Amino acid sequence: MTRFVDSTITFPYRRSLGPVVGAFMTALTERRILGVRHGDAVLVPPMEWDPATGAELAADLVEVGPAGAVDSWTWVPTPSEQHPLDHAFAFAFIRLDGATTPLLHAVDAGSSAAMSVGMRVAPRWKGTRVGRIDDLACFVPGEDAETDGEDTGPAAEPVERMDYLASITYRNPVPASNDRIVEVSHEHRLIGLRCPTCARVYASGNGYCPIDAIPLGPECETDLPNTGTITNFVVVTPTPYPGQTETEPFARVFVLLDDTDVVITYSPVVDLAARDVRVGVRVRAVWIDDEDDGATGGLFGAWGSFAGWRPTGEPDVDNPDLVNRIF
Amino acid sequence: MSARPVAIVGVGQTHHKSRRLDVSFGGLVREAVFRALDDAQMTMADIDAVVLGKAPDLFEGVMKPELYLSDALGAVGKPMFRVHTAGSVGGTTGIVAASHIQAGKHRRVLAVAFEKQSEGNAQFALGSGKGGSLGAGGAFAPFIRAYIHRSRAPEHIGWKVAVKDRLNALKNPYAHLKIADISIEKVKASPMMWEPIRFLESCPSSDGACAVVLTDEAGGNEAAAAGRPPAWILGTSSRSEPPSFPGRDPVRPAAAIQCSDDIYAQAGITDPRRQIDTAELYVPFSWHEAIWLEAHGLADEGDGWKLIDDGTTALDGSLPINPSGGVLSSNPIGASGLLRFAEAANQVRGAAGEHQVDGAKVAIAQAYGANSQYFSMWAVASSLQPFD
Amino acid sequence: MTSRDIAVVGWAHTPLVRHTEQSETRMLMDVITAAITPLGLTRADIDFTCLGSCDYITGQAFSFVSNLDAIGAWPPKRDSHVEMDGAWALYEAWLRLQEGDIEIAVVTGSGRSSTGDPSLIYPMEMDPYFLAPLGADPVTFAALQARALIDAGIASERAMAEVAVRSRGKGDVDTLLAGDYVREPLRRHDLPPITDGAAAMVLAVGDRARHLVEHPAYITGFDHRTECHNPSFRSLTDSPSTRIAAAAAGRGDGPIEVAELQAAFTHEELLLRSVLELGDDVVVNASGGALAANPIMASGLCRIGHAADHILGGGHRALAHSTSGPCLQQNLICILEGTPAEMTA
Repeated sequence: MTRFVDSTITFPYRRSLGPVVGAFMTALTERRILGVRHGDAVLVPPMEWDPATGAELAADLVEVGPAGAVDSWTWVPTPSEQHPLDHAFAFAFIRLDGATTPLLHAVDAGSSAAMSVGMRVAPRWKGTRVGRIDDLACFVPGEDAETDGEDTGPAAEPVERMDYLASITYRNPVPASNDRIVEVSHEHRLIGLRCPTCARVYASGNGYCPIDAIPLGPECETDLPNTGTITNFVVVTPTPYPGQTETEPFARVFVLLDDTDVVITYSPVVDLAARDVRVGVRVRAVWIDDEDDGATGGLFGAWGSFAGWRPTGEPDVDNPDLVNRIF
Repeated sequence: MSARPVAIVGVGQTHHKSRRLDVSFGGLVREAVFRALDDAQMTMADIDAVVLGKAPDLFEGVMKPELYLSDALGAVGKPMFRVHTAGSVGGTTGIVAASHIQAGKHRRVLAVAFEKQSEGNAQFALGSGKGGSLGAGGAFAPFIRAYIHRSRAPEHIGWKVAVKDRLNALKNPYAHLKIADISIEKVKASPMMWEPIRFLESCPSSDGACAVVLTDEAGGNEAAAAGRPPAWILGTSSRSEPPSFPGRDPVRPAAAIQCSDDIYAQAGITDPRRQIDTAELYVPFSWHEAIWLEAHGLADEGDGWKLIDDGTTALDGSLPINPSGGVLSSNPIGASGLLRFAEAANQVRGAAGEHQVDGAKVAIAQAYGANSQYFSMWAVASSLQPFD
Repeated sequence: MTSRDIAVVGWAHTPLVRHTEQSETRMLMDVITAAITPLGLTRADIDFTCLGSCDYITGQAFSFVSNLDAIGAWPPKRDSHVEMDGAWALYEAWLRLQEGDIEIAVVTGSGRSSTGDPSLIYPMEMDPYFLAPLGADPVTFAALQARALIDAGIASERAMAEVAVRSRGKGDVDTLLAGDYVREPLRRHDLPPITDGAAAMVLAVGDRARHLVEHPAYITGFDHRTECHNPSFRSLTDSPSTRIAAAAAGRGDGPIEVAELQAAFTHEELLLRSVLELGDDVVVNASGGALAANPIMASGLCRIGHAADHILGGGHRALAHSTSGPCLQQNLICILEGTPAEMTA
């Protein structure tokens, strides 16, 4: 039975708009729509460059619309969370009066039967506008623009930035080899997979040998000791970002497992302050049985019950060359 | 290597800053592109193909930005290509652009690389949005610790590189960091980020773009005849090795050694230390300079730090490294590799302005990526046979 | 302009399924082995690798770094990666092989698009100021192009349904036309499936190619072009970049027996046939094309693979197409033949 892990990547991007897009967005807050003159044509939306050649366009901005005609349309019966409306609507190419090229936007027509090529539409403005394309809530059939709710007026300053919240959730299957690592962790064990061709032992749970590029199945399993020596380490001073979980400097260590050639990389330490981490410390694996408290790491997050390494109390191993055992 | 010579006839870059709030994406890349085209005395219409390089799209939240940028780069009706090899991507961009010409398929290729990472957050993107991201330096601190132990380098070497590169940056009008009062004391006093790497030993996060115009032999000769000597490519190479396996040495990676061996063989370089006049190497954290000097045969194993200590790699030394100020002074991640390649080309064109290395005729550039796994390099010179 | 004889000598693809439980790296590991083993090659024989994949499909920055494990890059390999369909990775390898110092290249394309919702991911490849914030998704743009093509007489809902039936080898046109619209004028059958999968292809040069297989599929023409991005500025009833790429690749130099087109939507096949002037004598998408299976980032490479199969099996001339971006923004054409291109001095 394959396990799946959901992971959501969310970030509030903040974009700078440049002079042309900035002017367009500022105008939206004023309930105006701008295009850019290009010879006899008026391009909407306005661009800094000629789409055909890449040549710089003079920012000769001109007002278009606000009403226009539908050039083409499609019906969206079940909107996504990113769409401008939360009920069925049309996406349409809308050629605003005075524009040569159409603007893509939503039309709140009520039903697909109400949509037709050539029909007239006009903006429905949001009452509060910030300088984004969705200051236009959508377009509505007819000639007359409308405003949704109380109009709080144009932006006080020219708009130069734009927010864009990107959030995507991925549902990844956990490969059996990763799950096996988690499974044996509940038994407080570490295992590796020994490659039958090159004899290297891998403890990462990837389930293959990257040297010989062959899969390694359960028949390759070998037990690994729970004790070892810290060979190298990093102490990270955390920086804030959306999704950050750390606030204090934290350590990640490399541990060479006793009597093996296997290094467990980038693991947390327990009962050992970051400033006390050093090459040569003797350690033992720490297990906790609440999976939510497990160590972070890897694409799939927690390594089951494995929480990190705790000093055994033995004297340090006096071998400075251990620092070379990173992998 | 191919019989078809490739020349670099135009270089352009933006003024790299922590935040370029004055431009859109298109505006940012076009700034570099038009500078490069002007340098080459060309227009967009003269370009046959465009190669775009960029680091992960998660940095800006725009997937496959070559689609949105097609018209901004004047690529309509032309081939447009997008490479992505982690930190080495800027270098790979130059190499793939050269490949377009070496194959005889195209005559004039525009290579562009950029990053507008202020719109996102680099630490966030590097960790794919998960907590406890190691950050850029976190992956390398262990490698640096191992290097210091092996080489018995004194602790001040990293600080010296940090000072040298920022002093060089003061002579580079495009560089991001301008720390006029940079000093060993200032570096030593800056906060520890990833022991032993301190804040001022680390690269900045920059918005920026770089563009290079490459041409075939005829184009190079044309530029030379017009009094604009090109840089000629003597060799290019890329090598990759796996991220992790028992016994891997990320301090002196085999892929790094083989990559430089390859360009030296192509270029006829048998004594790198003597035959190379200057090098732009991807040094995002100060100690990487010592590490790469050794991995690329510019210093014997264990001795890289000595070239730093005795001033060899300073701008007035016998082998200046990163005369532009390097990644330590400007780091729009996707562009940083192409900046190395472009700056090396400018050196042998005599076009590096105030940070010109006098008489530079042969230069190399290197970019690396991920866990010191991806390596891209090129060797350039003021003529196709610089050692005759 | 000359080119050394460069040929496709073999390829393989993973099972193309609604969702795989394998990691992308494991898919690639298996498929590279599957591609090289029948040729008697090992990974040690591979001189250059180029991978095509997309971070946003996988949901992780630097996802291609793990994919490196599939290559067996030890000792280190000459290697590269494009954030594009494997068809463009093939282009990079084709250029690289012409530099003359190496003989064997392997290119891959891979993606697990089942893990995320395409309607939420793909708007992020659209203009970041005017289109992405509206969640403007690819099916919307496809629908708008379909309507334009129907209005221009290049497509009809019936002809689109016929493409669907032919591609999937099942169904009845009238029954399909009785279904509801998903995004008028598109119905469910007009849309591609969501598919996870990977493909690997082997290229070889000259005598090496002839040594490996009886009928190498020589690449005699290879070109790709892009158009401006925003569909508002384009004529959706044409595909000029396809036309230019096809002309530059030498489509007109001879008859095409077999064509594999990366048409993810039924109307796209009709437009591409028209632009490429593929008559009824051409067998189009015998594989089922992207309508039967659409492994994003490998879909185009699979088209080239199926076209190559025709030549590897003794055929004379085949055409393969790949695309990227909304409404066929960027298009690639690869011509494969049973005899090599004429060598010029």
